This record gives sequence, structure tokens and C-alpha cells, in this order.
Amino acid sequence: MLGFPLNDFEFQYEKLLNAIPSSVLIIDKKLHVRSVNDNFLLKSQRTQESTVGRSLNEVFPLVILQSTGIEEIIHQVLQNGMAVKGQKMTYRAPGVPIRIYYYSILPFMSEQIMLIMEDVTEQFRLSEEVRRVEGHLASVVESASDIVLSTDSEGRILTWNSAAEKLSGLSAHDVDGRYFFDLCDINQKQSIFQMYQRMKVANASYTTEFHLVTPNNTNNILISWVFSAMKDEYFNTVGIVVVGRDLAERRKLELQLRQSQKLTALGVMAGGIAHEIRNPLAVCSSAAQFLQQTPISEDFQQECARKIQVNIQKASVIIENLLRFSRSSLDTDMVEVDLIAVLKDTMEIVSNQAKVQKIKMHLSLQRTILLVSGVSGLLQQVFMNVLLNAINAMPTGGDIYLVVTVVEDRVIISISDTGIGIPAGELDNIFDPFHTSSPIGQGTGLGLSICYSIIRQHLGSIQAESRFGQGATINITLPVL
Amino acid sequence: MAQVILVVDDEPDMCWIMSNIIQPQGFNVVVATTGEDACFKFAHGEFSMMFLDAKLPDMEGLEIAKYARHLTGRSPCIVMVSGYHYLDDPVVQKAMIEGLIRDFLPKPFSNEDLIKILRFYTQ
Repeated sequence: MLGFPLNDFEFQYEKLLNAIPSSVLIIDKKLHVRSVNDNFLLKSQRTQESTVGRSLNEVFPLVILQSTGIEEIIHQVLQNGMAVKGQKMTYRAPGVPIRIYYYSILPFMSEQIMLIMEDVTEQFRLSEEVRRVEGHLASVVESASDIVLSTDSEGRILTWNSAAEKLSGLSAHDVDGRYFFDLCDINQKQSIFQMYQRMKVANASYTTEFHLVTPNNTNNILISWVFSAMKDEYFNTVGIVVVGRDLAERRKLELQLRQSQKLTALGVMAGGIAHEIRNPLAVCSSAAQFLQQTPISEDFQQECARKIQVNIQKASVIIENLLRFSRSSLDTDMVEVDLIAVLKDTMEIVSNQAKVQKIKMHLSLQRTILLVSGVSGLLQQVFMNVLLNAINAMPTGGDIYLVVTVVEDRVIISISDTGIGIPAGELDNIFDPFHTSSPIGQGTGLGLSICYSIIRQHLGSIQAESRFGQGATINITLPVL
Repeated sequence: MAQVILVVDDEPDMCWIMSNIIQPQGFNVVVATTGEDACFKFAHGEFSMMFLDAKLPDMEGLEIAKYARHLTGRSPCIVMVSGYHYLDDPVVQKAMIEGLIRDFLPKPFSNEDLIKILRFYTQ
């Protein structure tokens, strides 16, 4: 006894039972409900009268009894006196939404058991939601066509999505725990390692391009990478997220675009080319006609033959330069290139057009050879575009000054014209694709945007300076070898 | 006294060709390879006609024609010889209508055609 009358105790006990936020039922060995708390009545939408004294199969729907096998479990608990805990039950009372319970069956006094049902619908719903969001995120990462991987802050690979598996030929299992640097281009290992060191403290993301090494080592793929630091709530770097995009497709498109832009440039030069080729043709044609005349002195005959040969050679050089320029350079590997030679070759190609428009080109150099790492065909295309723009800006003649200076480890190629200049408002977007000041049909507006992408690929920069009416200067900066 | 023909072309080989066509026909030839040279020679000489290139390093052929007209106060006999234009080129047509040039001979040409033009305008 606890020191107060029995009915008081019963009353207290009942109050206590009703205060519990779980459903509690006392069930006897005949599977009749002996007692029930308010929580159960509320959840099941039943009354005391329709529950107490009733058999279990009147209180619970048959389907629940069958699916849980609860009657059998009660018998077992009654027999061996061992509690059964943490079973799941889905219960739907008429007119209320489905609820989910965890229930326990505990031995209670003699030949009775206590059924405690804890409503976990909300928790269950939340954990379902968490699972769903997690699943969604995982499938976003998995379905991405870009490589998405994560490493710890030291560079050990933690996750590796299916695009990474497909592109690298290495399964998530193959790379698990390996250092990311080990899968990178050998020349890049050091710089990636240093980047990881910086990212431990800095809050920046890094963008770079390098090859991913595949297991057979034959078909290494060029990837554009973005490294971002994963921070915890104290802003400590806990890992690195690495996203990589296969550049093969983009490179192919860039190649096509550059090629079509080159053909546009050739169209611009057509007038100059016609003039320059027809002159030697005219000389050849007339000289050949002289040779048909009789009589003709031996000396004159020799002179005619010589003129024919020289002028055929002249025409051929013009054509060869054009062919060299128009041919698509599939060669995209960066090699050692003499920048001065590329610049001079390009000046040679546009010289016909410059001549026709009475434009003089002046080249000023500090050195006669200047080595950079690059693709000569692409650099030529950049100079060609800039020179043709300068030529177009001077329809009534002028001068183009090409100044090459070396400042520390960089070379600056400055190309200035004395043309109409670029209006202040347009200076900001001349490198944008499809920006053009040319009349419709005379320019695609892609020239300078392609220059920009080529120079970026060469790890350089390109800028424009101009005052309207006072000419324009394009400054191209490239790292020297 | 033989008639004198002014040949204006920046390409020395073209001047050589034209001289070798014109001289055997009994004319004297004076050659100019720049616009300035052409204007100077035109101002200081007496020419029956001028064969004029369209594009010179310092001037347009038509500018020389305009200068010649300005200097003489009439339309001098000028035939344009060019690889840059073609006969029905609007620029050429306009210059002919304006009387800046009398005729047009596209490069390359047959020596016979050049002689026909020469004969026609020097008769």
C-alpha cells in the first residue's frame, strides 16, 4: 500500500495512465480488453463501453490482427513471461488518417498482458522524408552526366558517381580510399596537391583543366574540373567536392565553330585575294602571248619564261597561305611554338587585304624568337581576327602597329589601329558571342569571342582599349616558356 | 613624234608587260608605280592616254582619275586595268557614266584586246 485508500490509488493510477501519451491496453488470457486509457480511445475513435470487456478482434480490425499476428504473440508472452518490444503496426481507425505505431507487449500481473502502443507516425514520416531527400540527392548525383565525387580534406576518395565510373573505367569500389591525385595527370599531381592544401584554409573554389588517367592509360580524357571545399558549421574544411566535365564534346563544337569563323574571315579577304592573284595571272597570260609571237628574240623569250615562272610562284604562295589558314587544324595539342613566326605568317596572309585598303603594318620586336606553349593554328586565328578587325576599322587606309614586349614571364602582343575605334559602351561586350558592329551578312560576331576562348585555353588574357574616333588597341597576354 | 602613254601599276612586272605590248605599236611609255608618282607625271607630261590600275599603295585609281580631270578641266582618256573589279562592277559602271574612265580592261587580258583599246583611243 502506498498510504492512501485503494479507490484513491485506482483513481491516481487511472489519471497516470491517461496522462501517458501512448495507448495502453490491459488484455487477459482470453484476449479480452480489461482496461484501456484515453489515448487509445481517442486514436481508435472508440468509447470505453465498446472497448472494455470486448474481445481483441472486436476492438482491432481483423486485418491488423492477421498481419501482426498479435494474438499469437500475446499467447507467447503469457506463456513464457518474456516481453516483446518494438514491433511495428499500421492502424487505420474509421475516418482518420493512417497511423503508425510501435507496440510492446509486457507481462502484467497474473495472466494478463499490457499492450503499449506508441504513435510514431510523425517520426516515421520524417525519417521517410529524410530517406526520400537522401535518395533524391543520391539520384541527382548518380544521374548527372558530369563526374561528381567527394574526397576528405586530404584527398582520399569518399564517393564516386556513375559518370565517374563510366568516364574513368574505374568502379567506386576500385577507387574507394585512394588518393584523387593518383588518378590525375602526372604533371598535375603537385599542383592539385597544393590546391588541396590551400583549400583547407581558404573558402574559394578552383577551376582547372587536366587529363583523368584511365586504367589502360591509352585514352586519357581531358576534363574541366571545379573543386569546392565542404565546410562544417565551424567553417572547417571537412572535404572537397569535385565536379568534372568531359571536354571532348565541347572541344568538338569549338573546333567546328572556329572552323566556320575562319571561313568567314576568308570571305572578308576575298577582294584582296582576287586582286593579288589576278596580277600574276595577268603577267603570265601576257608573257605567254608574247611567246607565241614570231619573230621573238632569244633574250625576250628567256625574260618571258622567267616572268611566267616567278608570277606562278607568287600566286602559289598566296594560295598556299590561304590553304594553310583554311585547313582545319585537328592538332589541338599544346606544343612549343615560336610566337613571332606565327605573327609574321599571319601578317603575310592579311597583307593582300591591307594593301588593297592602303594599310601599312608595322611590327616592333624585342626578340626575333619567342617561345610559348600553344597551338600555332589557333594563335594564328586569333591574330588573323584581330588584324582583320583592324583592317575593317580603316576603310580609307591607316596604320597597324604590332608591338611585342616581354614583361617577366609573360609576353604582351599589342595590336593598335588608327581606325574609327570602339564606342565606350561597346568596349565591355566586344568579346561576347554574336556581338557585331558589322552590317548584317558581313560578320558573325563570333570572331573576338573565339579569340577569347582560344587565349583562355592558352592561359592568357585578351583586353581591348579604345577611344571612339581614335583607334583601338587589343592587348593579348600569354605566358612565355 | 610618237604619242606617249602613261601606264600606272604598282606591280613592276605588269608595267613590263604593258610596256612590251604598247611600245612595239609605235608608242612611247611612261611608267608610274604609285599614285603620287602618277599624279606628278601626269601634271608634267603630255599623254595620249593612261592605263590605270584600280588599287595603288597610296591612292585609289579613281582618285588619280579625279585629279587628272581636275587638273585638265576635262575628262582625260583613261582606261582602268584591274584585277580587283569586273566589267559590270557597279563601281566601274558608275566611273564610266561619270566620265572618270573611258573603258575597263579586266586582268588577265589578251594582248590583242589591249592593243585594240590602245588603237581605238589614240586614233
